[in-house]
Amino acid sequence: MGFFDWVVRIFSEYWRLFLEGTGYTVLMALVGTVAGFLIGLIIAVIRTVPADKEKSPVKWGIMKVVNFILSVYVEVIRGTPMMVQALIIHYSWFAKIGMPALLSAIIIISVNTGAYMAEIVRGGIISIDKGQVEGAQSIGMSHVQTMSLVVIPQAIRNIMPSIGNEFVVNIKDSSVLSVISITELMFMSKSAGGTYFQFVPAYVICAVIYFILTFTVTRILRLVEKKMDGDDSYVICGSQTDFRSQINAKKEDA
Amino acid sequence: MSVIEVSHLKKSFGENDVLHDISFSVESGDVISVIGSSGSGKSTMLRCINLLETPTGGSILFHGEEINKKGFPLTEYRSKVIMVFQSFNLFNNMSVLKNCTVGVQKVLKLSKTEAEERAEKYLSKVGMSAYKNAKPRQLSGGQKQRVAIARALCMEPEVILFDEPTSALDPEMVGEVLSVMKSLAAEGLTMIVVTHEMAFARDVSNKVIFMDGGYIEEEGAPEKIFGSPEKHRTQEFLARYFAQ
Repeated sequence: MGFFDWVVRIFSEYWRLFLEGTGYTVLMALVGTVAGFLIGLIIAVIRTVPADKEKSPVKWGIMKVVNFILSVYVEVIRGTPMMVQALIIHYSWFAKIGMPALLSAIIIISVNTGAYMAEIVRGGIISIDKGQVEGAQSIGMSHVQTMSLVVIPQAIRNIMPSIGNEFVVNIKDSSVLSVISITELMFMSKSAGGTYFQFVPAYVICAVIYFILTFTVTRILRLVEKKMDGDDSYVICGSQTDFRSQINAKKEDA
Repeated sequence: MSVIEVSHLKKSFGENDVLHDISFSVESGDVISVIGSSGSGKSTMLRCINLLETPTGGSILFHGEEINKKGFPLTEYRSKVIMVFQSFNLFNNMSVLKNCTVGVQKVLKLSKTEAEERAEKYLSKVGMSAYKNAKPRQLSGGQKQRVAIARALCMEPEVILFDEPTSALDPEMVGEVLSVMKSLAAEGLTMIVVTHEMAFARDVSNKVIFMDGGYIEEEGAPEKIFGSPEKHRTQEFLARYFAQ
């Protein structure tokens, strides 16, 4: 039997395994990216809280400690492989308190993504022109209002490509979580290939599925970005020469 | 009582002293033009009044109350003494209408309907109603600045601080922004305008301050400053301007 025949045979016999594995992979990547983004957002916002050493020394002291803890988290998580983190944290802690492996895996991937996202969001906040902050402050907005209404929405738009990167990385790197026996795509491919001792055809199917996933995600995010940007030109309300103004007028009525 | 009373204001950035000893007062209805060469401290002074910069010395009183002290209601003060910037600083993620309503809703805590009524009123005043759904990046510089002025007016402030509002604009756009400012002055709005538009300073303001090297070199009625300036430095500065 040729190589291609094996691919077809394995897929037609074990497509359920591949499908189930894909489900776990997408679940971990999706939840991990969203939760990681929220963790990163919170960390980055905490780091921007202004604290004047002379005006409010207590707040300044607390911020120093909090910032130190946050940088330890970011550095340690970014500086060690996720596979190693999963093995250590799951077997020495989560498994002992009876946590299901899938929940462990989702927590680990979220915490891991959070460390990267913290830096990405920080970069996004830095990229926003200082004038935006001053504009907000000059009409009396508080720090929280300035961040939540003006800075963060613009920062998120700017970091969309990086968030997409993290999502793609998570889809692929969740494969290392098979070490704590998550039956995700990689794990399932190995099982499927094992029955006939034909691993390479199984891994080829696995690679194709990964590629379809990542490619689709990239396209979807590109569309979201376009949607966020809106149109480049503007139609004056009630313009009689531009047919698009009709659309605008209707939108307003609604 | 004066609306704003600046006395012996000092500001330094590290070793660099930008403002040495600035004292002047702003009465209700005043239109004060601040002129002088770049680097003379005009913008820094304005930013100190809005507390975007913290003064290193002296005092700024708003209706007799010191603004640079602990416990002063800073955000409330800023909603009454608003700054309009050279680079507009419109919120890029919001439509023109939202730029105008966000402060009214979130800072003044008025309802959405009231905020939108105000926005419509002041946008039509600056001639920008037709663009209310546009995003800032779809506007020209002059249009952006007019929206920024409408955004400030929506807060119905006591004082508007203009920080070189026309310096980033071409001559035609300068005209459209200045005419808006002129009509505001005519209505009795209190304004401090840092500007290089000498004609505006001469014709619209009731008081002109000439700054040089971090000091107020000369101040007085526009007829005096432009007609018969006393100080040598003022004469030199104006001569260079009108020679063009």
